[in-house]
Amino acid sequence: MDETISKALLVMLVGMLTVFLILWLITVIGNIIIRLSNKYLPEVEQVVKEKKGEAQQIKKNTYAAIESAVSIVTNGKGKVSEIKKI
Amino acid sequence: MQETLTKLYEMTAFGGFSLSVALMWLIAFVLLYLGIKKQYEPLLLVPIAFGVLLANFPGGGMGIVPAENIALEGHRYKNLFEIASEYGIMNYLYYSLIKTGFLPPIIFMGVGALTDFGPMLRNLKLAMFGAAAQIGIFTVLICSLLLGFTLKEAASLGIIGGADGPTAIYTTIKLAPHLLGPIAIAAYSYMALVPVIIPLVANLLMTKNEFKINMRQMDKLYPSKHQIKNLKTVKIVFPIVLGVVSAVFVPSSVPLLGMLLFGNLVKEIGTSTSRLADAATGPILNTATIFLGLAVGATMTADVFLTPKTLGIVVGGFLAFAISIAGGIVAVKIYNLFAKKKINPLIGATGLSAVPMASRVANEMALKHDSTNHILQYCMASNISGVIGSAVAAGVLISLV
Repeated sequence: MDETISKALLVMLVGMLTVFLILWLITVIGNIIIRLSNKYLPEVEQVVKEKKGEAQQIKKNTYAAIESAVSIVTNGKGKVSEIKKI
Repeated sequence: MQETLTKLYEMTAFGGFSLSVALMWLIAFVLLYLGIKKQYEPLLLVPIAFGVLLANFPGGGMGIVPAENIALEGHRYKNLFEIASEYGIMNYLYYSLIKTGFLPPIIFMGVGALTDFGPMLRNLKLAMFGAAAQIGIFTVLICSLLLGFTLKEAASLGIIGGADGPTAIYTTIKLAPHLLGPIAIAAYSYMALVPVIIPLVANLLMTKNEFKINMRQMDKLYPSKHQIKNLKTVKIVFPIVLGVVSAVFVPSSVPLLGMLLFGNLVKEIGTSTSRLADAATGPILNTATIFLGLAVGATMTADVFLTPKTLGIVVGGFLAFAISIAGGIVAVKIYNLFAKKKINPLIGATGLSAVPMASRVANEMALKHDSTNHILQYCMASNISGVIGSAVAAGVLISLV
């Protein structure tokens, strides 16, 4: 019984240390990924060239709604380049 | 005439009816009531409860037989066709899908595809409290040994404290398959009771001032050094790198953690793999849940379930849960002693899995003390890390015990 208890205590020690180690590594790795992506892959700002007169035709909030809808549907890949009234 | 009547009687289940069968029906009815009426984890409790019923219909042939029945000489087993023809379809399902450890990782894949690592990536420091909340697993392991459980049984019982159903089932299949039924029931029942257990432990251990620690105010006072500029890329890279690291350090956690991270990756990639994510979270997850629930329930025949060990599992499971929650809270309290930027200890309480119910409960408790203190996103950080932590703890138990 004593042998089993001491084995269980060892399992507890190793287990807790491993869980802490893995989650600490997650913290470190996560921070490294964030820093590297911030440095080398910052999200490209969506610059939209407004055609002359277009700004007057489409209100800003309408434009923002269309832009966010396109972003959701395309998972951030699509960009609004032109809006035409049909 | 008498012969016909005798055959007719033998055809019915009346001959096999006994008090223990009636008791198992009663347990099944209570579980069905909790699942249907009280909405306690209905997606799993209803199939498990119905599996209990199926297994305890005398003459129905749906109860799972012990592994000795299918064992042959020389560490070999009967093939699936022999199992199906001799013991019926439920044993076929159990020995092909559960005993092989197939379904829990499949469910983890679906869970991964439903999980958003975003809150954890925004608050990486809080992930450490997901580790502290695994203390219940190992504490109950030792307590169970003192109550007469074997080391493998004690490890299976302790893993209930991880508050993660598939992890508990997977570990029990590997270490003590004869306890699968009661451990699965205890794990899912206590997960359903998270709204009761977290407030109970938190009210015992926390002061009013601690409940009022406002995380957003703390963020304003001590802002984070690194803002994430490209969250989408980080979310895609993270499961790949984490998968590699965890596989190197704890290979035995790969079946669970690897599938979780794969599910998460196909979700985060977006439209090009959305069909895979839809399949993982829809038809595959639902089908796996049905077979897992029914087969686990069918392991609970009267002679397996109605033993003193079941009572030990019920008590031990509760202790494991409560100690895990307490471990998370105490870890935050210790951290607060040394840190300028204080953390609400409720965030530590959510370090056990049970995503997202634990976070929702903690958030509601914080809002009761301060209506502006929304801590859901912070709780999700430690809550999600708790899923990883319990899978790692399971890997350690499977390797060492």
